[in-house]
Amino acid sequence: MIDAVATEVLKTRRSRVPWVTAATFAVATAVGGLFMFILQDQDRARSLGLIGTKAALVGGQADWPTYLSLLSQIAALGGMLVFGLVSVWLFGREFSQNTVKDLLAMPTSRTSIVAAKFVVALMWCLALTFQLLVLGLLAGVVLGLPGWSAEVLGSGALVVVVTAGMTFLLTTPVALASSVGRGYLPGVAVMIGSVFCAQIVAALGYGAYFPWSVPALFSGVAGPDQASPGLLGVVLVVPVGAAGVVATSLWWRNADQDR
Amino acid sequence: MIDACGLTKRYGEVVAVDDLSLRVSAGETYALLGLNGAGKTTTIRMLLGMVRPTSGSVHVLGTAVGPGEHALWSRVGYLVETPAAYPELTVRENLTVAARLRGVSASRRVDEVVERLNLAVYADKRARTLSLGNAQRLGLAKALVHEPDLLILDEPANGLDPAGVVEIRELLRELSHDRGVTVVLSSHILTEVARLATRIGVIHRGRLVRELEAADLNAFLRQRLSVSTRDPEAAEQALTAAGFVPVRSENGALVLADAQSVREPDVVATVLVAAGCPPTRLVVEQDDLETFFLREVGS
Repeated sequence: MIDAVATEVLKTRRSRVPWVTAATFAVATAVGGLFMFILQDQDRARSLGLIGTKAALVGGQADWPTYLSLLSQIAALGGMLVFGLVSVWLFGREFSQNTVKDLLAMPTSRTSIVAAKFVVALMWCLALTFQLLVLGLLAGVVLGLPGWSAEVLGSGALVVVVTAGMTFLLTTPVALASSVGRGYLPGVAVMIGSVFCAQIVAALGYGAYFPWSVPALFSGVAGPDQASPGLLGVVLVVPVGAAGVVATSLWWRNADQDR
Repeated sequence: MIDACGLTKRYGEVVAVDDLSLRVSAGETYALLGLNGAGKTTTIRMLLGMVRPTSGSVHVLGTAVGPGEHALWSRVGYLVETPAAYPELTVRENLTVAARLRGVSASRRVDEVVERLNLAVYADKRARTLSLGNAQRLGLAKALVHEPDLLILDEPANGLDPAGVVEIRELLRELSHDRGVTVVLSSHILTEVARLATRIGVIHRGRLVRELEAADLNAFLRQRLSVSTRDPEAAEQALTAAGFVPVRSENGALVLADAQSVREPDVVATVLVAAGCPPTRLVVEQDDLETFFLREVGS
């Protein structure tokens, strides 16, 4: 298992994809900071040309609680795409590049190889979440946002981490799709389908019971008038994540690898 | 080393491999010979546990191949179809990945196999820059990095230039003779198979249609006497009158396929000289392997 993780880490380190995901999250964090900058003084933003002369941003104040909520929304919505991309790459590339056949008749079991890929995906997504928090905090400090306290920061960061964790769990079916579909595209299709369905179901008011809607609702993206998904919604995410891991492992272990 | 019994693989109505039984003993070099689509790769994938047989069983190194039986692969090296490598990793890193997954941590083995496969020049180059021939060498290096007792190679000479083909043949021969490595390979290059294998299995439409010792191969190759003269018609009449059955070939030569002609071409020459049309060319020809193979599979 350690050898399998080491090889996955080596493949990841040599790829450009980690940099792409880090850059995507950095841009998202910067956009969040820009949003706060505009909210701080909309007249200043208009004079700088950041928003139109007649435009006005609504949806919060420029303070730490709002900003931390924004970061958790990035973890929910951006995470679904970026964390999904991580799974698509880790699993789909073996099929797209036809390297999977060199992983199948090894003394390292296929289950260990799949587990190693999920371990690396988790480490990767944790690193991205850490980057989101660190860059977000730096931007908040630079902007001089009001409303700072250890309690606000602690609870806000916890929401970001829990949201990211749930989002990660929901991307495990993407790994399954990339494996069964033997390439990148099926994984991407499931990833986009998940985001689309999450939006529709949440708009219909059943988001608290639809796992893919839960992280966004938990992060407060729907606004203060929408109820938080509650414990049931959060708990529903876990079996989805577990099912994705187990199904992917079973597929690698048992399916015919004839291409 | 390998004991496959009644292997069958069906994909819906299509039977890719049909009731194939195969036994390979330690130290043998066994070649599966077949046309494209004959079922060689599916057979090899079943031997390696990548494809589950619809019916039948495979034992490799005494262990039944199946999910969960992964320990046995520490003694097996393989190469299936076209070689693949992680393009962003160097040759050395690709070998390190293969070695670690096979429980080999010593970088010494990677260095040795890099030298052995003449990849030293490319060792620190990314795999995406390799030519097809060098990618094939890398594929073979991955199969050899853990010093396996059994090598299963699907078309190992693919993409190699003539010098590379000779080099790989010598490598496999050395592994077999010096280290006692058992080799199972598939190929459609018959001359290569004849030079390397100790036993040959001819596979066609999923069935093992014939197995033969490579040493016996010559016995299966048909011989005939080909005669050219300045006056083929007179020669044909003379030979027919002497009891032979000459057949005119496309290039105007007379072909005698009977055993006596092949065994005693001097008698044929004497008949022709006596008839006043001495031979300008007299040669015993043998089926080439391609002809033999196509005759075996009925094409």
